[in-house]
Amino acid sequence: MPDSEHTDSEYIIEMLHITKEFPGIIANDDITLQLRRGEIHALLGENGAGKSTLMSVLFGLYQPEAGEIRKNGQTVKINSPNDATALHIGMVHQHFQLVEVFTVLDNIILGAEDTKLGFLQKKEARKRVEALEEKYGLHVDLDAKIEDITVGMQQRVEILKMLYRDNEILIFDEPTAVLTPQEIEELMHTMRNLTKEGKSILFISHKLNEIMEVSDRVTVLRKGKYVGTIDTKATSKEELSRMMVGRPVQLVVEKGPAQPKEPILTLENFSVPSHLHKGDAVKDVSFTVHAGEIVCVAGIDGNGQTEFVQALTGLERSSGGTITLCGQDVTHASIRSRSQTGMSHIPEDRHKHGLVLDYTLEQNLVLQKYYEPRFQNHGFIRFEEVRAYAEQLIEQYDVRSGQGPVTIARSMSGGNQQKAIVAREIDRDLPLIVAVQPTRGLDVGAIEYIHGQLVAQRDAGKAVLLVSLELDEVMNLSDRILVMYEGEIVGELDPQTTTVEELGLYMAGAKRQNRKEERA
Amino acid sequence: MSFLIRQTLIYAVPLMIVALAGVFAERSGIINLALEGIMIFGAFVGVLFVRVMQQAGVFDVAKEMSNYLALQGFMCLTMLVAALLGAVFSLLLAFAAINLKADQTIGGTALNLLAPALVLFLIRIIANQNTLQMASGDAASWFMIKKAMLGIDSDTSNFFVDTFLNKVYLSTYICILVFIVLSIVLYKTRFGLRLRSCGENPQAADSLGINVVRMRYTGVIISGALAGMGGFVYALTTTNCSANGDVAGFGFLALAVMIFGNWKPLNIAGASLLFGLFKCIAASYSSIDINGDGIYGLTTIGLNANFYRLLPYVITLLVLAFTSKNSRAPKAEGVPYDKGQR
Amino acid sequence: MKKDGKLAAFWRKDATRTVMASLISILIGLVVGAVVILVTGLTSESLSLKSAWEGIQLMVLGLFSTGREAGTLTFGFNGTNIGNMLFRATPLILTGLSVAVAFKTGLFNIGAPGQYLAGTAATLFIALEIPSSVVPPWIIWILAFLGGMAAGAAWGAIPGMLKAFLNINEVLACIMTNWIAANVVTWVFDVSNLKNVVENTKTGYIYKTTYNNVQTPKLGLDKLFPGSQVNGGIIIAIVLAILVYIMLTKTTFGYELKACGANRYAAKYAGIKDKRSIVLSMAIAGALAAAAGSLYYLSGNTEFYWSTYQSLPDAGFTGIPVALLAANNPIGVIFTAMFMSMLDIAGLQLTNLTAYNEYITDVIIAVIVYLSAFSLVIKMWISGRKKRAAAPAEPTAEPEADKAETEPAPEQTGETAAQKDAAEAGKEASEQ
Repeated sequence: MPDSEHTDSEYIIEMLHITKEFPGIIANDDITLQLRRGEIHALLGENGAGKSTLMSVLFGLYQPEAGEIRKNGQTVKINSPNDATALHIGMVHQHFQLVEVFTVLDNIILGAEDTKLGFLQKKEARKRVEALEEKYGLHVDLDAKIEDITVGMQQRVEILKMLYRDNEILIFDEPTAVLTPQEIEELMHTMRNLTKEGKSILFISHKLNEIMEVSDRVTVLRKGKYVGTIDTKATSKEELSRMMVGRPVQLVVEKGPAQPKEPILTLENFSVPSHLHKGDAVKDVSFTVHAGEIVCVAGIDGNGQTEFVQALTGLERSSGGTITLCGQDVTHASIRSRSQTGMSHIPEDRHKHGLVLDYTLEQNLVLQKYYEPRFQNHGFIRFEEVRAYAEQLIEQYDVRSGQGPVTIARSMSGGNQQKAIVAREIDRDLPLIVAVQPTRGLDVGAIEYIHGQLVAQRDAGKAVLLVSLELDEVMNLSDRILVMYEGEIVGELDPQTTTVEELGLYMAGAKRQNRKEERA
Repeated sequence: MSFLIRQTLIYAVPLMIVALAGVFAERSGIINLALEGIMIFGAFVGVLFVRVMQQAGVFDVAKEMSNYLALQGFMCLTMLVAALLGAVFSLLLAFAAINLKADQTIGGTALNLLAPALVLFLIRIIANQNTLQMASGDAASWFMIKKAMLGIDSDTSNFFVDTFLNKVYLSTYICILVFIVLSIVLYKTRFGLRLRSCGENPQAADSLGINVVRMRYTGVIISGALAGMGGFVYALTTTNCSANGDVAGFGFLALAVMIFGNWKPLNIAGASLLFGLFKCIAASYSSIDINGDGIYGLTTIGLNANFYRLLPYVITLLVLAFTSKNSRAPKAEGVPYDKGQR
Repeated sequence: MKKDGKLAAFWRKDATRTVMASLISILIGLVVGAVVILVTGLTSESLSLKSAWEGIQLMVLGLFSTGREAGTLTFGFNGTNIGNMLFRATPLILTGLSVAVAFKTGLFNIGAPGQYLAGTAATLFIALEIPSSVVPPWIIWILAFLGGMAAGAAWGAIPGMLKAFLNINEVLACIMTNWIAANVVTWVFDVSNLKNVVENTKTGYIYKTTYNNVQTPKLGLDKLFPGSQVNGGIIIAIVLAILVYIMLTKTTFGYELKACGANRYAAKYAGIKDKRSIVLSMAIAGALAAAAGSLYYLSGNTEFYWSTYQSLPDAGFTGIPVALLAANNPIGVIFTAMFMSMLDIAGLQLTNLTAYNEYITDVIIAVIVYLSAFSLVIKMWISGRKKRAAAPAEPTAEPEADKAETEPAPEQTGETAAQKDAAEAGKEASEQ
């Protein structure tokens, strides 16, 4: 390992002309990234632009076909995460790499344990971690189990893990996706603190606001290719988004004002039991969705949205209250009878709920309809009808796949899988569409398409209930916003008049309306 | 009472050690359904080793010299051999599950089919019958602890001596010791912490530079060693040191004990005692004399012998039914680790 | 060039690869069996190299063995062996179907032995307790067969319900219900009056069903294969296999079962009653395994050893390799069951004609099960080789996505890497 302290290279880490291929795909094509000592360097790109691959190369998880990595001006070889650790490179992964049933302390020391004769020496470790907590103001209860602490706290554990290993180069992979606006503020503050103490930071994101706020320089990737590196001060959001997408992006969804008509879905005092504790995950929720409007349930991940949707669609039981759908009480109805009464559902997790991945595309497209007379005769499937219907949907919704209707769903790309689900649910032509995180993990083109479809459905007189964690989606797509915090609806906002900051205060539970009184 | 405790321990100890074998595999992320097969294999290897050593005359020399300590040493050596070959046998599972990312349930089932087939094939060729026995004598006379060995007069009779020193095998205490040592290893050492992390979140472990493949191999090998040893101890203490390609579902019971014990050693120890008790009742209900008044309580109830034999299995099912909601398996068990999935 | 394309298409077909993978598994199984025979032959002083060679010959060609003449093994057409093979294949087809149906619903039915015993017991009780002097034997036969299947269905439904409602691992539940069945069956026959006391040459057996004039009709098969035990049961088994095939591939019920097996959550999301599907699937599996026992003991020339509490019927376990080797295809099960029973016959010849014994066939079967645990890897290996040979036939895909990012939440629990690789190989071809 080169001696890190005594070089005069301007850059602490350089990745020069990195090329990484996967079968049939060039994920990184001649990419160069240079990180200055003590700077916050943003890496910007869409989903699929090659950011994660590049970081995996830096972290020793993949070996590039071409290119070299230098630390302090000297070429290094990184063959495994161990090599990266030895070079003092650390990473906070987008999906935290924590062992849920272990304590915070065990998670921090895991892989870098002090031992005597193989036995763990936790006392010394505790002292060191406590000192780090003090120095950087990152306080966490060391004896709590990961599964019992908040996402924000878990992120602190991840940062402490890097500090415990004396890392100098810190990589943050999409660190703000799961945080409240206030927690994001705190994180930005922490990041600046870290650079003051001499750490260098790589900040991976596709959120322009954050990049503009915190970074010193930005490197932009698009479709696996290097676009450029610029000083943050010398650029604008518009320029960055053009670099990222390759064309001017519509940052706002094109839609006219909503024209709400009759109520489609009415919830009264709706409650759902929690899996984690004895109480309710969703408490006493009441609201109405009308035909011709998009109502959005916004909130930070883990505030009861998942449980809410599961109970609303019948996947789980509710513990109280009523659901009225198209004038009928469906509180205790089965999943299928709810759906037949008029509810379609674009689920949060397309792999878990949305698709049978080992079924073909056509089998998946009739998942909600296979039992209808059109598709079966005395229990025997009418294959020619299934094929005809699938071909019609594929054509109409532009679902692309290798072998058309007989493609195995697993082999399709995420965007086309989601399109297939959207096609299936929208084509059922039911009065209510429950869309949960409908654009998660998709690229800009697919997002625009799905947003367009939802607006079109609204204009066709459907009621749309959107559940989303993405602030941009919430602000741009919805006609009304309901904020869910710890299982309660704490505020109803009009996206035309509210600001992201205000929305954030509600999401963080710092502000709440007394809705019941208002309505009374 | 002494009899009851003794008999219960005879059944509980193999269960306990084999359930711990399951823990080491599953905590590293591999479902070891092959415990039964490895036990069968271990029992065969142990008995064969004893037989061969007897035929070589090694034991006779020791016995003639009344050197019981040496005989105990031979027994320990046999346990070691069974453990060693159990570990080797379990490599088949490790290779399929870790390197080839095979379905672990099917892989384990294959070993459960392979062990009795191979063992019976060989027993038939070696012994020309379906059971492999010691070359001479019985397990008790060769290997039971002799009171004289400990300097206790053979007529001494009190509760402690009757229960823990009379008609017992040293293997019982060795197993208990191994159980305690490995439980500490699992919770208090670096190795234990890393092993458990691989069963919960191998991606996280890998990102911290822990070699998941090596950890899982180690887990399965320890598992195989314990199950192989447990298989021989079972054969030694319950079937008079003979092997017939069968351990009466003990490996599966051990799996149930492991689940019942929630993958935690202390709970497992308790659960094995409970199951050992039921097994003991099933095996010898007619000779259990609880208060020592010469009345064999359970025979007077007049229940069919089949009822007692049925009991352990029914109880296992009931216990599983009642505990399944609270049980928490290692999160990543059964899922092949694939670096690309991080 | 065109021919090449056709050949490549043939190799790309999933079915081709599946059959190839099974054949390779069989081949490796036989090789391992041969090696075991060879090693024991070489290491044991009582066995010669010649006997090892004979053992290997019989292991492969046992079906065509015609005995030993002047110290040498002879081979040729042996109608008795083939008839017996069909007779032994009958229960294997049915237990194989049992395991396959459960697999399609994502369940590992290792409970076939218990269901087999439940069916056997119910069948024997009905067949022997209804007096043939009052009811015509053919009606008793039908009642006994259906009664056996009903008992098996009920027995199979127990682990199904434990899985569906309490989420207890079905493998453990099945193992427990197996042993419970073994004990209960022993118990009920122990207290019954069906123990064979007429033929006192044997103890511990139940009357043959012919004692009550109940017997599966031979349908002329005994003329075709003289001296064998074959009867109409094989026809019933094949018909059941075809029915199961139709149920799984052509009906909405099959669609629901398979959806539950492939992704229980998605099935539930689509309004399919997942718990009902799991219980029904296990009940059908139970009925099929029971039919195996039922037909075996209704043949009239088999007798049941009732004190079975210490052992489980092999036929139940052999259903596992039968199903796995057939890749859970009901039609494939017919052929793999025939193969397994052929091994069975070979094992008998081995015991009768050499110093080796029938357990070697169990070794081969175990090796085949072991290999089928990673049959996907073998399939990938086959297709990988073929693809390299046929390259560059695949169109190059647009470097559209960095997989690590397009799938931010790869909820792929339970999915093997091989499947993933397969998916990615498919991805290459898709999305031009």
